[in-house]
Amino acid sequence: MKKLLLIIEPVIWLLFGAGLAIGTMLLTGYAIAVGIVIPLGWVSPEVLDYGRAHALASNFVGRLFLLGLIALPLWKGAHHVRSIALDFGGESRDGVVGTLLYLMAAAGSVGGIIAVIRI
Amino acid sequence: MARMAHPEAMTPHKKGPTRTAPPMMPGTWWTAPRIRNYLLFGATGFVYMIASFWILRLAWALGSNPQAWASALSELSSPVAIFFNALLLVSVIFVGVRAFWGMMPKMQPRGGPLPVLPAAAVRGAICGLWAVITIFMVVVLTGRLF
Repeated sequence: MKKLLLIIEPVIWLLFGAGLAIGTMLLTGYAIAVGIVIPLGWVSPEVLDYGRAHALASNFVGRLFLLGLIALPLWKGAHHVRSIALDFGGESRDGVVGTLLYLMAAAGSVGGIIAVIRI
Repeated sequence: MARMAHPEAMTPHKKGPTRTAPPMMPGTWWTAPRIRNYLLFGATGFVYMIASFWILRLAWALGSNPQAWASALSELSSPVAIFFNALLLVSVIFVGVRAFWGMMPKMQPRGGPLPVLPAAAVRGAICGLWAVITIFMVVVLTGRLF
């Protein structure tokens, strides 16, 4: 498993870098608007009623933004959680931990693609 | 006159195992600000992963039916969800400031065809892009545009 992780490392780093940069940029606006402003009632929740949310998310740009919001932070998260596990748990379990985390990120990304197509 | 010694004269024929100990996190890590910030930067990975799966749940509900969407959206008003999203906002700002402000000016490729830009130009460009995307998303998601 460790050998496989070393082989796919360039791909992992590409996705991690995209997650760190683009994921952070996308999550900021999401966290402010959907996570705080609307739930606290500072803006009427009707701005995200089904019809409007569906219209926003069902066009090409909307789907792309949504997929970026789902998939990219997952890879940033998986790689950083792996590095934390490596720092505290040592190298002995890195193969298993890294594989599990990247499988989670891959499953979430595939789930994101399906979710975006379903809209 | 003696000959000069060969620099590899004392090298063993067969490469032996290194005596360097594997890297270990010091037990006093919490008292060292640099390690603490580095670990907090890594710990934001947990928050990013949970946020991604939460957004996946929202997208799945949006693709299902209006009732599922309304239910998923109402969950965001719970105190736990608001606390988590406040933590997410703190995390993304921490990651953004550390990565965009501190790291990216130092990560420019050197020796290539592109000129190495001043740190202020890199910071201005990437933080400007971050601000534009954030403002655009907030304006759209709060119903001020489209």
